[in-house]
Amino acid sequence: MSDRELRTARARLLVEVEEAARLIAPLWPLSTFIAVNPFWDLRQMSFAEAIAYAVRVLGISGYPSATLFAEAYRSGRITVADLRVALEAHPTAEDGKGSDVKILTATERYDFVYGTRIAATTEREVAKWSAAFLAKMLPVPPDSGFYAAWLAMIPSDPAIRRIVGRSGRDRLAQLSVQPEDAILSCLERLGIAEEDRVSELARQLARMPGWAGHAKWRSRWAPPGQPGPTLHLVDYLAVRLGYEAELFSAAVAGRGRMGRSASGYLRGQPHGVSRHPDVDRIEAGRVQIEDLPSDLGDELSGLSVIESTKVWLAAYEGHYRDQLLDALSRPASLSTEPPAVQAVFCIDVRSEGLRRHLEVVGSYETFGFAGFFALPIRHQPWGSAEEIDLCPVLLHPSSETAERPCGETDVAASRQLRGRQAQVGARMMFDTARKAAVSPYILAEAAGFLAGPMAAAKTLFPALYLKLRSRVRTMLAPPVATVIETHPRDGGMSDEEQALFAETALITMGLTRDFAPLVLLCGHGSTTENNPYASSLDCGACGGNRGGASARAAAWILNRATTRDLLAQRGISIPEETVFIAGEHDTATDRVIIFDLHLVPFTHRDGVAVLEADLERAAVALAKERARLLPGAKGHDPVAQVTTRSADWAQVQPEWGLARNGAFIVAPRSATIGADLECRCFLHSYDAAVDPDGVALETILTAPMVVGHWINAQYYFSTVDPDLLSAGDKTVHNIVAGTGVVAGAGGDLKVGLPLQSLFESDREYHEPMRLLTIVQAPQDLLVTVIDRNPVLRELFDGQWVHLAARDDQLDNWKIRRPDGTWARWSPAATYTEEVTTHG
Amino acid sequence: MDETWALTKMTRVEVVVGGEEIPVLTELLSEVGAIGFTVVSNVSGLGHSGYHQGRLLFNDRNALSLITVVLPADRAGALLDGLRSLLAHRSGVLLVSDTWVSRPEYFQ
Repeated sequence: MSDRELRTARARLLVEVEEAARLIAPLWPLSTFIAVNPFWDLRQMSFAEAIAYAVRVLGISGYPSATLFAEAYRSGRITVADLRVALEAHPTAEDGKGSDVKILTATERYDFVYGTRIAATTEREVAKWSAAFLAKMLPVPPDSGFYAAWLAMIPSDPAIRRIVGRSGRDRLAQLSVQPEDAILSCLERLGIAEEDRVSELARQLARMPGWAGHAKWRSRWAPPGQPGPTLHLVDYLAVRLGYEAELFSAAVAGRGRMGRSASGYLRGQPHGVSRHPDVDRIEAGRVQIEDLPSDLGDELSGLSVIESTKVWLAAYEGHYRDQLLDALSRPASLSTEPPAVQAVFCIDVRSEGLRRHLEVVGSYETFGFAGFFALPIRHQPWGSAEEIDLCPVLLHPSSETAERPCGETDVAASRQLRGRQAQVGARMMFDTARKAAVSPYILAEAAGFLAGPMAAAKTLFPALYLKLRSRVRTMLAPPVATVIETHPRDGGMSDEEQALFAETALITMGLTRDFAPLVLLCGHGSTTENNPYASSLDCGACGGNRGGASARAAAWILNRATTRDLLAQRGISIPEETVFIAGEHDTATDRVIIFDLHLVPFTHRDGVAVLEADLERAAVALAKERARLLPGAKGHDPVAQVTTRSADWAQVQPEWGLARNGAFIVAPRSATIGADLECRCFLHSYDAAVDPDGVALETILTAPMVVGHWINAQYYFSTVDPDLLSAGDKTVHNIVAGTGVVAGAGGDLKVGLPLQSLFESDREYHEPMRLLTIVQAPQDLLVTVIDRNPVLRELFDGQWVHLAARDDQLDNWKIRRPDGTWARWSPAATYTEEVTTHG
Repeated sequence: MDETWALTKMTRVEVVVGGEEIPVLTELLSEVGAIGFTVVSNVSGLGHSGYHQGRLLFNDRNALSLITVVLPADRAGALLDGLRSLLAHRSGVLLVSDTWVSRPEYFQ
């Protein structure tokens, strides 16, 4: 092959790998867990088409089970009227109808016919090496990745010699040093025709979606220069296919020699014994209800199983939509008094409960806004060498901030740092001694007298233990007052950039006038113990981190006189007496902490004290509401219950997180106030009156709503396909190199959310529905925004997200159909009345 | 081109794709031996799949980008082959033209 032909072949392969990886969800490291629509890269297809494709390649079912729908019908969660509406709206042509033949790899087909275990053996070996690579246990040649490290180690791997013999191992070691070339030669050895390559590669990746997902994150999402071992998609596939081709060749050769030389892994077994379960996957059953009206039963029976399932899903979603739109159609009376405090919370569904309770305990006006407060920053906490990206993963940080001591002497700051270093050092020493070969015995002698009682206290009195630990830490490292700021003189954001950020944030949340004397910007995070999935409970808009730092940086900028002068030139006048303060809502305990009290002017400190007291009252009310829903709740004091759960290192369900999320509402608070939305709705404030050109609406729909959709889709798919798209049972998780978890001793990295975030015992706690986006904005503006953004057309036309809208509070709700036309909404009735048509 | 200018003929490839395609595109460019390229983010325009908004405030992945690369003609074939496959399944623009450069060693 000439150099030119080789380059062409490699380029073509790269695109084939890209195509194949479209159905693989990127898997972020545990420290910044990101909930993602597992099929985001298939969104050019409709929801139904993408599921049909994923069914063939991944072996998922894609829809809620017949049992869930049957129980929902019996409990009144789905009614006959809902089913009739869903049936009427159901398209006559099947969406997503195509081949229903499962896609298998060449070796899966071989395994199926001859009873070998090539695919399983490949997986065991690839998982073993991938884990070792991530754990930095392999020497890596300079400027190289996973494939080069594996290739260097394979000549001395006894495991593969046992399977394919010394000659087989030598052939593996002689694979091309270029991973693309290795893939091409292995595909040829496996007999894959060029037109079948994408299918083969897709199924190769689908066999272990966790490792493939990690490789996809590294190849397509990780920022350049991201630290850590680089396990790229091409490297991963080269290793996989290296094994596949070698094992396949050995099995074929072994069969030719009557199986004498093939090892047990490759020797044929009685047909059926080792059949891969995917091959025999049973199709989802039809919903069985005996007391359905006969005409309805007949109509549903006339549909294929998959089409009737779609009708049931539409009815399930329609019932929730109707209830929600009905609740939003009853206007509540608003206070005409100017509020004492305006409080801006993250759009996260858990903020809704706190806002609702805060509004009834005092004179508060609340807003919803993405928890990074429009400030995409790379932030360095005080005393930490690590920087964290505080922004949605759709965005790159555009500036850097650092936390630094404020008004403290160098002595106090140094003392704090020394105390923290001592704690970290002790922790590292303990962990290292605990995990090494011999030292655990010495450690048990030396520190057992202390560790034993500590473990007992941690188990029996978790809240008390946490309090004590916190006191000891404070004693060792007394806190110092700090500030998060970004000065142009230090290379931070320029004055103009800060003003632009402030203007964007205020206009997008609809807060441009009538400022209260105190404005709280409140991020959120979740305090849990011994929880690898802790970051899944933190702020998605802050890239899976706690949101307090973003709130502090935003408050600092909005309090700057320079920012306010520039804002005034842009038409936003913030009164001099208005002070922005920052806080953080702990969603596990419901408590809100207010930061940087040392920066609050004396004139406002009484106001802050009142706010803190009211936040505490709201927290108690919310804790009472949440404690009822938490599984296994004990005792009468809800505050103690949620606090204990948060501190308990054995608790696998510290909070419900975003389970049961169902809608994303873009409207002023006046549209939702007074309604109990049960912590199920993302609430983004929006005032169309200050957004004549639709830029704010476009920003909300193309970013926060997309993040909301990802979260919703992650919960949906993890619930409907827990075997393949959830992380499984937390109690058997083991962490791999701080990056992901495996169930038990090894195997694939787990994807999605753990079962304990979705299920209560064996029943779904989360209601798997597609996101319903509700917008209050002039329809022409909304349609213009959708029409100029392909990503929105894909989501709404493809039925990944449903859309309901009204011009203003006096208008009727309308539902957008997949073809872009709109129908007037009325509960559980047919949408036949045409309102207007937009192509 | 007038020979007195002492310019060298090259192939110029311009591609408009979504921001999320940039990682695979840069991988492709590196694979065919392109040693430099220019990315212009947040471009807007009208195409056969409708209007594409330019700047999205909080979303770098779904706004369009324009990538321009100049490389010797003998390397352009592999790149074009890959780009055509890439654009077979998604919207985008591919423009190819002749161009001349004064410092060819920067593009080899």
